[in-house]
Amino acid sequence: MAGQIPLQLGAKKTKSQSVTEPPWVRRVLISAALLFLALFLVLPLTAIFIKAFEQGIDVYTASITHPDALSAIKLTLLVVVLTVPLNALFGVAAAWAITKFDFRGKSILVTLIDLPFAISPIIAGLVFVLLFGSTGLFGDFLFEHNIQIIFAVPGIVLATLFVTFPFVARELIPLMQAQGSAEEEASLTLGANGWKTFMRVTLPNIKWGLLYGIILCNARAIGEFGAVSVVSGHIRGLTNTMPLHIEILYNEYQFSAAFAVASLMSILAIVTLILKNIIEWKAAQREQQEDVV
Amino acid sequence: MSIQINDVSKSFGSFKVLEDISIDIPTGELVALLGPSGSGKTSLLRIISGLEEADQGAILFNGEDMTHIQTTERKVGFVFQHYALFKHMTVFENVAYGLRVRPRKERLSKVKIKEKVEELLGLVKLESLAGRYPSQLSGGQRQRVALARALAVEPKVLLLDEPFGALDAKVRKDLRRWLRRLHDEFHITSIFVTHDQEEALDVADRIVVMNDGKIQQIGTPEEVYDHPNSPFVYDFLGNVNLFHGRLENGKLVNGHAEIEASTAKESEGREAIAYVRPHDVVIERERVSKEAVPAEIVHIHVVGRTVHVELKRKDVDEFLEAELPKEQYRKLALEHGQSVFIRPGQLKVFIPEDFSI
Repeated sequence: MAGQIPLQLGAKKTKSQSVTEPPWVRRVLISAALLFLALFLVLPLTAIFIKAFEQGIDVYTASITHPDALSAIKLTLLVVVLTVPLNALFGVAAAWAITKFDFRGKSILVTLIDLPFAISPIIAGLVFVLLFGSTGLFGDFLFEHNIQIIFAVPGIVLATLFVTFPFVARELIPLMQAQGSAEEEASLTLGANGWKTFMRVTLPNIKWGLLYGIILCNARAIGEFGAVSVVSGHIRGLTNTMPLHIEILYNEYQFSAAFAVASLMSILAIVTLILKNIIEWKAAQREQQEDVV
Repeated sequence: MSIQINDVSKSFGSFKVLEDISIDIPTGELVALLGPSGSGKTSLLRIISGLEEADQGAILFNGEDMTHIQTTERKVGFVFQHYALFKHMTVFENVAYGLRVRPRKERLSKVKIKEKVEELLGLVKLESLAGRYPSQLSGGQRQRVALARALAVEPKVLLLDEPFGALDAKVRKDLRRWLRRLHDEFHITSIFVTHDQEEALDVADRIVVMNDGKIQQIGTPEEVYDHPNSPFVYDFLGNVNLFHGRLENGKLVNGHAEIEASTAKESEGREAIAYVRPHDVVIERERVSKEAVPAEIVHIHVVGRTVHVELKRKDVDEFLEAELPKEQYRKLALEHGQSVFIRPGQLKVFIPEDFSI
């Protein structure tokens, strides 16, 4: 097989003349795409870093080591640590249920999974205020038991969970549908129970798709602004996540500090993108391995 | 282990996949479920394995009711149509899987597992490929890995779903013989699903012919081939020539031919069809009996040692196919366009109303 992979790659590159465009069309299209990229992605990204370091490295370090900034970073990481594993678990469970079994209400479940994508994050935030706020549905109950959800960390976690829950499931459903359940059935006939089948057969097969979903989920959990903004209450050092902290700094005309924190987030985003690419590349390689029949 | 299938029925929505299927399979028998696609044979196999549940009826292994026992507990070896090998595992790991997933108490030691897997790989002649992944194997090799994997758990019952369906003719024949030898050696009760009559006739001890979710006939290969009990079975097991006619005085009258037909008296005067296999069509240079009809040779083609002759009857506008050994073909000195007489050597008469096809 080792000899066959390059062969396949080669075959992919040499497309027949009939499906390619004339050289000038290709050149125009490519330069348009590159120009667009430069204008809307590279330029803003560079601007963030230039602005962040405008007043020198000392201001930069001071901005990101400020107690409020540190607490925002910590809170963001906490939210990520709580939401991503939960959503990964939920996503796998939902994809498993949807692709391997037939049950009543399956299509409704599929639709519900897409709900957070379909509605605005602001509404997602407001829903939780309506449910758990002081005048909300469970407001009195929560007040009596001295539990604070809205304008506190639990609310932020809930809102982020809601907004990021489709990522893993959406990534896995088509993958698992394409794979079918023949291997799982083989595992069952060989005497493996459901859990062993999942751990030894299903999970290895969906590994790359799952990681990809987790990375997207992670990126969104770090960056979520709208829904979190509604439920957070913007209490400095307590309920501010990184995006909220940036907004506050910006509104207070502390541009360098705002951009310093923003640059930190951009680095996280870039790292995520690189990870995402590595995973895509690995997954493609694996797929090719399987295609060589 | 003996298998008993009692009145099994299954439907998907309003579509009846299986209707009152009952089969008794004694220990050590190799049975073929033969039928066209959609005849329910794969569903039956899956129900026996526990991968699917019957709506009605029971499955018994050695007299023990297995109907509600899960696949995991049934100890059946299942070979899937497209092998369903674990893509992310090597050949060795695939074969070892069933041994490794056993509960700790029943699990063999690592050394024992290795020994056993190597023994199995030797059996399927894949020792040298133990470290390869399924994607690096040919179809026939994959099939053998699938068999070794199924055998590793020492199943009492081996179920094979179209085991040779996706292989080319040569590999198929080899594997088929190999499966037969393997079965003779281990005596595992085996059921395999196929739509290829040649495969079923070649390998099986007994054939269950299925159509539309019902059993058409159960019997040894000779029985179902030589004495089909319905037009469907006749048609499905090999090529066939049809003589449409009317029953008169115990004879089937068809064009100029009067064919001896041993049917019940009540069917006097009814429409009937005689089924004659190509190799039972006798070609003669002269008319020697009333059964013979004049025909013209329209095409001759020689395949190996047999000669296929296509004929056009002169009395009625119908074509026939005959098959004869080369020596006989030479003796008769047949050639294209020649006029000859044909008569059915062995035939079976069916009255259409009895069988709605």
